Amino acid sequence: MPVVVYRLLVLGVTTLVVVAPLSLVIYQSFLTAPFFDPSAKVGLLAYTFVLADPDFWQAFWTTIAIAGGMAAIAVPLGALLAFLMVRTDVPGRQYLEPLILIPIFVSAVVIAFGYVVAIGPVGIFSTLAKDVLGFVPWNLYSLLALIIIAGLTHVPHVYLYSAAALRGLSTDLEEAARVSGANPFRVAVNVSLPMILPAILFAGVLVFFLGFELFGLPLVLGDPQDLLVLSTYLFKLTNKLGVPSYQLMAVVVVAIIAITAPLVFMQRLLLRQAQRYVSVRGKGLKTQPLPLHGWRWVAFAGIILWLFVTVVVPISGITLRSFVVTWGEGVKLRDVLTLDHYRELTDYPNVVRGIFNTLGIGVIGGAAAVGCYTAIALAVHRWNSGWTRLVDYLVMVPRAMPGLVAGLALLWVFLFVPFLSPLKSTMASIWLAYSIVWLAYGMRLVSGTLLQVAPELEEAARTAGASDLRVKRDVTVPLIKYGMLASWLLVFLIFVREYSTGIYLLGPGTEVIGSLLVSLWGTGAVDLVSALSVVNVVMIGVGLAVAVRLGVRLHG
Amino acid sequence: MAELIVKDVALRLGDNEILKGVSLSVPAGQVVALLGPSGSGKTTLLRAIAGLETPHQGSIVIGDTVFFDTARGIDLPAEKRGLGLVFQSYALWPHRTVFDNVAYGLKLRNVSTEETKNRVEKTLSQIGLGHLAARYPHQLSGGQQQRVAIARALVYEPPVILLDEPLSNLDAKLREEARAWLRTLIVTLGLSAIHVTHDQVEAMAIADRVVLLDNGLVAQDGTPTALYNEPAALFAAEFMGANNRLNGTLAENSGGRAVMEVFGERLIGMSRTQAVGGAKATGIIRIERVRCASSPGPNRLKMQLKAPMYLGERWELVFARENLTVRAYASAPLDPGEHYLEFPADALWVF
Repeated sequence: MPVVVYRLLVLGVTTLVVVAPLSLVIYQSFLTAPFFDPSAKVGLLAYTFVLADPDFWQAFWTTIAIAGGMAAIAVPLGALLAFLMVRTDVPGRQYLEPLILIPIFVSAVVIAFGYVVAIGPVGIFSTLAKDVLGFVPWNLYSLLALIIIAGLTHVPHVYLYSAAALRGLSTDLEEAARVSGANPFRVAVNVSLPMILPAILFAGVLVFFLGFELFGLPLVLGDPQDLLVLSTYLFKLTNKLGVPSYQLMAVVVVAIIAITAPLVFMQRLLLRQAQRYVSVRGKGLKTQPLPLHGWRWVAFAGIILWLFVTVVVPISGITLRSFVVTWGEGVKLRDVLTLDHYRELTDYPNVVRGIFNTLGIGVIGGAAAVGCYTAIALAVHRWNSGWTRLVDYLVMVPRAMPGLVAGLALLWVFLFVPFLSPLKSTMASIWLAYSIVWLAYGMRLVSGTLLQVAPELEEAARTAGASDLRVKRDVTVPLIKYGMLASWLLVFLIFVREYSTGIYLLGPGTEVIGSLLVSLWGTGAVDLVSALSVVNVVMIGVGLAVAVRLGVRLHG
Repeated sequence: MAELIVKDVALRLGDNEILKGVSLSVPAGQVVALLGPSGSGKTTLLRAIAGLETPHQGSIVIGDTVFFDTARGIDLPAEKRGLGLVFQSYALWPHRTVFDNVAYGLKLRNVSTEETKNRVEKTLSQIGLGHLAARYPHQLSGGQQQRVAIARALVYEPPVILLDEPLSNLDAKLREEARAWLRTLIVTLGLSAIHVTHDQVEAMAIADRVVLLDNGLVAQDGTPTALYNEPAALFAAEFMGANNRLNGTLAENSGGRAVMEVFGERLIGMSRTQAVGGAKATGIIRIERVRCASSPGPNRLKMQLKAPMYLGERWELVFARENLTVRAYASAPLDPGEHYLEFPADALWVF
């Protein structure tokens, strides 16, 4: 097969898979009824309805407030954390690094449940506080609490980009400042952080953007106070009118994408800017960390406190809850310990299926997805043509669709295209949705690996007489083998964690832990939810441990 | 074996005009060095011949096979050209052993396992690495890697072997040994080769013919002795060897002889210019041809000795007069002060 055929084939399939769901959503938004309804006509009725709904605007402004608030919290903390971890002698840095990234890999719904059972009105820590203080000094169900939690759990995102930028920055700039008489704090504020400002700015836009994707936290924490964000508003619309109001949902989806798409585009521009800025690569010298003296323990305590609030509190809360019959004021831990919730898991065939499906989608689906991402990356690899631009943009399209939205769009595709309908109730639909949602992430992982292949290695094979495809098979793929394995592990982690994408596709046969958790939470089955959350956390923990053991970089 | 002919090749990378119409030929069995400063387009030309860059004009032909021809719309892909290319970084595949690296070209040509084994072993023993076949590239020294890269390009007997600065990654001492070794290998095997280098000594040592490139054009094409001793243009004269440059005025120019005036003195030299009397003139003379003298005479200039420098096998003396600096070699240091320097008429080129 000539390479041109391969390229066009890959390009065609990718375009179809990416564009079809989006176009269907846009088409649906201009209909007056669901697309399968014969009475559906083209019109702007759905837009007028949604835009006149005060709940929509309420949700819109709440989303903006949350996204802005979490960026305001996560950006300074993440940048500071990066400086402390990369440039100073904070104790135990090498052990802290994987711990810092945990909030990225744990499902947001699990964290949200964890907060509810830990510091909710009758949470484990709340009752403890009440015993000691006589009152509960916090209120979990408030907009402020939601913003703080969202902000704290997104610190690692900022950390990742800031730390990468800092590592790329030559340390002699900082040493020059120290020699001139600046203390470590001044060095950070006057030299290091300004130098990585483009990366921090990028991370800020990223976090703001992630605010629009937020679903698990506002669903769990916002519900008791009727606090809606755009994604939960979309979710509630399903039940609002009693009939399938696809046209209204489509309008909300269009509204979300209208905001996220420019943000994605902006991120792209900023990232390019940031990379240009950090062209002063370090010379690979072993650099001397800045000594913080007494402050290093203060900094250490600060990091531990943050880890305690964002990781230990929710995860220990949900774990504890999964081992007790009930919880409330005056309950003695000794009397209520039980393993029953885990036994009960096996009583529900859909839950058992969900556990196996989750493992399957992580292991098999992850491998298949990495295979697809590699096929796309290889198609554009060393292709000197304008078409590679198209692929760049194609990959960005799903990025603008939050998981919930992508799942919905794909559901419609399965309903809309007759010969695809049988796939709807199989794991194939889940796999396709996951692979599309994480296309940009996976492509970044694989392309990053491909970038490390020196072009001469491929050119040497060309001149030795190998065709383009043969070069890919004999040289490129064997050389990126370990990078692909690492990508597989990372994709496993995010597929196992994923919860929002599968929600609309949830049905008999397509259960995964993430979407089951959301639906079980709706029924109030806290025991089951806790046990299942712990199962999910354990899966991710094992995956993370393997990744750390193998020395896989936890970010693309 | 056939002759490789490159005709009027022009190539653009982005907005940069890298090659501006280069022609050259490599007869069977000849080693041609592509020499030039960085940015002169020599590596690009080599890559265009290999099929890794696409020119927008010109033709590349070997014997009856057309590699590239804009007029006929032919562009044979790199893998169909059957050339051997040795990369500057060697580009050995890290996931394959030395044997498999060398054998790959034969595997692509569907050579039987038995014959592949024989031919790889023969090639490896020719380069003196027969015992290292099972090693991986990272287990070899730089010099050994370079030999494997050459073996890999030779094993399927290409009509021409292309070498892209193959010696530049070796340290200075090893480079001189490898140079002699490479020249011997090429001559023994009777190969045609194009050798890209920015090192003029390497080019003259290794090649039968040197093609000097300047800014995407051929500045001069000839034997090493012709290039060194009869430079056609100022660029060639200055690029080869170590030189002194004298600025002056042209006084006479006829019959291949030119007279230029420097500090009012007349210096006779070989004419390399069409200009007539009164024009500005540049005199170029190799450092080793400048002679120190104690008294005035024809073709001599009075100059002040500034700094004697001891180089080991000889002394280098730096003379100055106003804004003119002249370097010369001597077997013993001279006393500081005024001296006369002679610029022999058969060693001074006037441009």
